[in-house]
Amino acid sequence: MKEPESLTEKTSEHNDLRIGVYVCHCGKNIGGTVRCEEVAQFATALPGVMLAKDSLYTCSEPGQEQIKSDIREHRLNRVVVASCTPRLHEPTFRAACQSAGLNPYLLEMANIREHCSWVHLHEKDAATEKAKELVAMAVSRVARLMPQFEVTVPVARKSLVIGGGIAGIQAALDMADAGYKVYLVEKAGSIGGRMAQIDKTFPTMDCSICILAPKMSEVGRHPNIELLTLSQVQEISGHIGNFRVKVFKRARYVTDECTACGECIDACPQLVPDEFEAGLSIRRAIHIPFAQAVPSKYHIDMHHCLNNQGIVACDRCFQACQKKCINFADRDQVLEFEVGTIVVATGVDVYDPTPLTELGYGKFPNVITTLEFERLINAGGPSGGELIRPSDRKRPRKVAFLQCIGSRSKRASPYCSNVCCMNTIKDALLIREHWPETEIYVFYIDIRAFGKGFEDLFQRARREGVNFIRGVPGEIIEDINTGDLRLLGENTLLGSHYRYTMDMVVLSVGIQPRKDSASLQRMLNLATDTDGFYMEAHPKLRPVDTTSGGVFLAGAAEGPKDIKDSVTQASAAASRANILMSKGEVTIPAITARIDRDKCTGCGLCARVCPYHAIEGGKELGYYRVVEAACQGCGVCVPECRFGAIDQTHFTDDQIVSQIDRVLANNPHDKILCFACNWCSYAGADFAGVSRMQYPPNVRIIRTMCSGRVSPAWIDRAFAGGIGAVLVSGCHPSDCHYNNANRETARRIERFWKRMERAGINKDRLRLAWVSAAEGAQFAKVISEMHEALARTPADKVHKEADKLREFLSKKSSSQ
Amino acid sequence: MTTLRIWKHFPREDLYECYQCARCTGSCPAMEVAPAIGPRETILKCLNLGHQDVVEDERLWLCCTCNVCEDRCPQKIPISDLLVALRNSAARRGNIPARLVLAVELLAKTGRSMIVHQLDEMRAHHGLAPLPPAPIEEIRELLSKTGFREVIEF
Amino acid sequence: MKYALYLGCAIPIKYPGFEATTRLVCERLGIELVDLPFACCPPGTSMKMVHYDSWLVLAARNLCVAEEAGLDVLTLCSGCVNTLKEANTILKKQDARRRKVNRVLEDHGRHFAGTIEVTHILDVLYQDAVVEKIVRKMEREVPLRVGCHYGCHYFRPPKYMYPEELSPSESYVPVKMDHLLSIIGVEPTEYSRKFLCCGSPLGANMDQDAGYAITRQKLGHIHDRNIQALSVICPSCFEQFDMGQVVLSRKFKDNRKVPVFYLTQLIGLALGMKYRELGLDVHRVKSRKLLEEIGMA
Repeated sequence: MKEPESLTEKTSEHNDLRIGVYVCHCGKNIGGTVRCEEVAQFATALPGVMLAKDSLYTCSEPGQEQIKSDIREHRLNRVVVASCTPRLHEPTFRAACQSAGLNPYLLEMANIREHCSWVHLHEKDAATEKAKELVAMAVSRVARLMPQFEVTVPVARKSLVIGGGIAGIQAALDMADAGYKVYLVEKAGSIGGRMAQIDKTFPTMDCSICILAPKMSEVGRHPNIELLTLSQVQEISGHIGNFRVKVFKRARYVTDECTACGECIDACPQLVPDEFEAGLSIRRAIHIPFAQAVPSKYHIDMHHCLNNQGIVACDRCFQACQKKCINFADRDQVLEFEVGTIVVATGVDVYDPTPLTELGYGKFPNVITTLEFERLINAGGPSGGELIRPSDRKRPRKVAFLQCIGSRSKRASPYCSNVCCMNTIKDALLIREHWPETEIYVFYIDIRAFGKGFEDLFQRARREGVNFIRGVPGEIIEDINTGDLRLLGENTLLGSHYRYTMDMVVLSVGIQPRKDSASLQRMLNLATDTDGFYMEAHPKLRPVDTTSGGVFLAGAAEGPKDIKDSVTQASAAASRANILMSKGEVTIPAITARIDRDKCTGCGLCARVCPYHAIEGGKELGYYRVVEAACQGCGVCVPECRFGAIDQTHFTDDQIVSQIDRVLANNPHDKILCFACNWCSYAGADFAGVSRMQYPPNVRIIRTMCSGRVSPAWIDRAFAGGIGAVLVSGCHPSDCHYNNANRETARRIERFWKRMERAGINKDRLRLAWVSAAEGAQFAKVISEMHEALARTPADKVHKEADKLREFLSKKSSSQ
Repeated sequence: MTTLRIWKHFPREDLYECYQCARCTGSCPAMEVAPAIGPRETILKCLNLGHQDVVEDERLWLCCTCNVCEDRCPQKIPISDLLVALRNSAARRGNIPARLVLAVELLAKTGRSMIVHQLDEMRAHHGLAPLPPAPIEEIRELLSKTGFREVIEF
Repeated sequence: MKYALYLGCAIPIKYPGFEATTRLVCERLGIELVDLPFACCPPGTSMKMVHYDSWLVLAARNLCVAEEAGLDVLTLCSGCVNTLKEANTILKKQDARRRKVNRVLEDHGRHFAGTIEVTHILDVLYQDAVVEKIVRKMEREVPLRVGCHYGCHYFRPPKYMYPEELSPSESYVPVKMDHLLSIIGVEPTEYSRKFLCCGSPLGANMDQDAGYAITRQKLGHIHDRNIQALSVICPSCFEQFDMGQVVLSRKFKDNRKVPVFYLTQLIGLALGMKYRELGLDVHRVKSRKLLEEIGMA
């Protein structure tokens, strides 16, 4: 624990300070509540302040000009603007400073609008006093700010696309067409993905493979695309602009000379269920996934080949191949290359309904899934496009579709899978078109036809006589003699029980995150949402970015999506990557962590909490260092260091402690000190302001980039200094902007509570609250609750507990 | 008073998660053979009309207690707990099937839920000793303290 | 292996044959049974529906009796296991309820501490050590096509009954009876709606005819598979099928009948026990002819 330093000592170091303070009226937005002239007058007397002015609109051209001319004329070397939230105009005023020759990092803003005038509309005196203190806090901080220079790192003009479904194909083509080299990695033997398995597409009923195949061949022949099939990404290191990638490429056992003549298949004695046909038919160990496959080459599934023991026990395919393309000596390889950007397009798995035993999937042959149905009616599928049912290969006369199987369920996936309703309607119409005498029943809960052309398709299905019955069956019973299926359920609109006999039942199964999605998540430091899909950086404004720089999302890996949305998103992701690659370099904000090598003992605790693997080093080296290009500036590592060796640029301990001390200077026992993370809680407090939600004026908010930056030493200092209450607030656990760095916040606060108990302090005085950027009301509620609790605590109790803590801390430090 | 007691035993928030898929009623054996209300409608009525409507309805008791509804519920709504809470409330209002009144009265009077003639002879036929008497005093005292008389006189 | 034998009401009063058989089978298999002053469980189908607090306290009393003897409870009935297992879980997990129940029990010198487990005869017989004993002591196989009926309350709701063995959809699909019977040469036979209720509680509480309508459905599926005998682990299910077939055959002039066995009676057959010894003579649907066909009467 550092010794508390007094304000005067600190400023004496900075006696060459020339700070300009600008208090903005923002029309009546601030000026209607806060007496801005009085605040400016107050600021003039603050240490280091050379001049303080109030203006009607500081952000206006004249307002900015005033700052610029003052910087030039009065040789100002620090600027404080007391106006709105820095999330709005910090870039504006930074640019103004820069154009006047002042380093933009020497600007500090005091948020006297969202955090003051708007939330204390009817308390003019209290709001004015609060504004003064917010300005004073900003002045203390600005005095300690240092000029910073943003570094730029080069971006390699090459990209990696992971996954060769329609999203990966589209992203690869867009980037390759823009002139960048693309590595497209696909784990199957061909690109095409789920779309290649589907018969027709909704809402326009195009033949799926017909519109996909041209794109697939374009990938195959594109000079800028290096297609790696039978391949999986094994390792990714590095950071934005410069990723090092290792890809594991399985042996094909067939050389590039293969012309896909197919002579080898008949020779192969090994039969295997065909995964592309959803297990409905069989293939050989040597095979091509489907007729339109790209690359159009056979490969041997060595797992099922007779030669899987490493010796050639069977060479029938070799004998059958006239061009002698079979090479049993082919070996798996690991390829290594570097890229500047990455697009993740790994797609989805399909829900397996076997656990829902009441539906009999896997037990009753005529209960199938939608994916199986797609293959069943596909001309290239196992039945040659004839609608037959599995048990007796007869044409079903009555077909039922069951919706929401494995979706909207706490027993499977809790979310709506987004594509099943329209897919079923499309399938129903296909049956209608080719086998019009078939009766079709769709058992649904809600039909979600939200997209362009969707409602039309739904209405068409109704007009064409597809029966829609609200209420999914609870149970399916198989007639053991005929294989027919009896469906028991309730028609909720009629309120009556039904029993339908059907020839075939299609379970409209939902889609799920890939089972192996966690490995890529770890490699790329991606966050996942509560459903397990990869999470976007912002759900609205950065929908294809991830929180890892240079990594973008395309297709259903980010959440259930149809083909159109996957393609849209893929093009968006490619475009985002293209921006980086065309610029060729990227600027990193100067808020990264720095390690003082002299103080570092090489313990590695910081590296353990870093969500970006941006801290390198080791015991053998004796120290750790921050990889600046990989550091995202959350600061979670700083409080972890026991030796004070780490600090965060522009958010140093010294700067923040100066703000805390300023809060402690006057009547601290009446005040709530709040630490709010930039992305959620600070924004949530801003939102409370924008919404004019009123809360008590005794809260002082200090901004950090992440709640993980909040050091327990700061909380110690605040309580020892007699603060009434402390609030630490951050993003909700899975929404953290910094890849769940706020897990460390929770851990540290838990530990702090235990310590408070040991020190004999009421632990309710420290609160941890998750407040999202949309939860202004929640922020206001938390502050009001804390205010009420504080109002019940007498000041002398606060002082007594502060004494107790100081005693506890001194005992602790002397025992160490 | 009774209004509050139901929700004391059962978290009402759980009901809001019901989206009326009817998997519960589709699985319900009682609904196939009798005019039971069924969990779906029960929940809907509780939400839209208040539970009074349900607890005064005799059909509330048409149930196998097989719990298959809860087992199939995609929202994992604790339907069995809900039905117990509702029926307890119905019982306090005197809505109890006559057969059930006889059964619980017997239990409160004899400590057992069955009675047969010539029990000792029957047990002897299978080589078993007579059944020791039930600890009826203790049971009756316990029932006096749990408030069983709110529902059944014994 | 030692348990407190929990008989319940239906078995010792209506079907003492099951009690006698179970005692004999357990003795042969080295399972020691101790009789304790238990009372009615009480049933989840009656007492719990009418007055939950009373149900919980009476169940807690039974659990206390077993705790005092330091023995796990062995039940023979799906209803009893349902009540006692659920109450045991709730009282162990929910502090407020436990405190409330203990306040009532304390006047009688009892205190629920949560030190024992509740189990069912099927789960006890299914243990490896017991199965090995059955194999060793078996005198003959029982070559019958048997349909197993578990009884809803034996396994539902699974959150109380088998919380450790949930399926991926968080349900529980019982298989132990089928597996156990296959050991004694039975051919366990699947049939449609195997886990459908027998109809007993609906019949007992409200509407006898409606209850039997469910039984009839279930019997239809059983006949479809040419099942020769039913195996049950609950006296209420037994009564519903045994008595039910007599009622239904009269009403619908259907002469197809399938004898019903309590699980330990089938095990007893394999261990060499006789028709009368197993109490099969008092069943309404007679099994003598069927057993003669396979040379076992």
